[in-house]
Amino acid sequence: MRGAIFLLCLTAAGCAVTGQPFQRQRAAANEAEIYLYRPYSYAGSLLRPPVVCGDSVARLGPGGYQVFKVQPGTVTCHTETEAADEVEFDTRPGGIYYLKEDIGWGVAIGHSHLYPMDSDKAQTEIQKCCVLEPGSIVEHQG
Amino acid sequence: MEFCSVSVFRTVARLALGTALSAGLAACSVQGYANTFSVPIGAPSAPAAEESTTQPQAQAAAVPLPFKGRLLDGNPKALPPAVAASLSNSSDIVFNYREELSHDHYTVPLALSAFDPLTYVGYPLGNYSVTAFASLGISQGDRVLGDYTAKVKLTREYTLYYQPTYIELEHAAKAAVRQKIDEQLYRDASRLAQAAAAGQGH
Repeated sequence: MRGAIFLLCLTAAGCAVTGQPFQRQRAAANEAEIYLYRPYSYAGSLLRPPVVCGDSVARLGPGGYQVFKVQPGTVTCHTETEAADEVEFDTRPGGIYYLKEDIGWGVAIGHSHLYPMDSDKAQTEIQKCCVLEPGSIVEHQG
Repeated sequence: MEFCSVSVFRTVARLALGTALSAGLAACSVQGYANTFSVPIGAPSAPAAEESTTQPQAQAAAVPLPFKGRLLDGNPKALPPAVAASLSNSSDIVFNYREELSHDHYTVPLALSAFDPLTYVGYPLGNYSVTAFASLGISQGDRVLGDYTAKVKLTREYTLYYQPTYIELEHAAKAAVRQKIDEQLYRDASRLAQAAAAGQGH
């Protein structure tokens, strides 16, 4: 019985991301930054769908955030589980953009949603909800 | 009697723990399913591809304005069709076009939608909305020939079985707001032509 309770606690705790709290980085003059964050929600918490922005892929857990450094211009961010969602940014040099990820209901698996966010609302939310998730971003191959 | 109630309590507690553990572990299997079922990333979705083929047709059909102008501010690839068809770098008339998008979304709380039977027959689980705002200024030297603004808000609901993408909503909102600017320009075309001709006469 106690073992089962311990295992349950471990399972629930294992869903949340641990890392450093949000700290806004200064974008280089010749590139733009897209902050991707995912507020904690128990539903779909073990689901980490890949989010592709430009040439990089990030897989965020609940309560995590990550930064994409992209070349200025039109950048498309894309995610897909059972259904797909896609967002486009017209980025400018030194610009900072925010994208929120959320997992909703699906038939066999949760649907991943991407929401472009206004910077004032996103900054308040990301500071409260999310920590930098180390190792969650990789350069996209091909 | 006391022994019986304790034993019932233990059985119920075991069942509850078992269910909770199964739910936790089931979520792990869902993760594997997600990774294996992802289609090749970067493949264009059907609506986006469809829109990119219809846009050039709309631009080709655009009627140019009765004068030419040069673009001071704005992306030459993202203009109302009538303006795009009336560009000339040598003109003394200036177009100043700006377009802004704002996004919003609403999600029905998951705890409510999970227990709502309507969810499973396709009742909306939330919506996406995009508001596009555009402004076009036309000037000749210090004179303002025309100033036009337009705003369009598009909302799409998503269900358990259907999910639109933000990108298709953005493209539709941009196209709609450009069309509204075009309509205003065409209504005002004769006045604009007279004003432009009068400015060139000076």
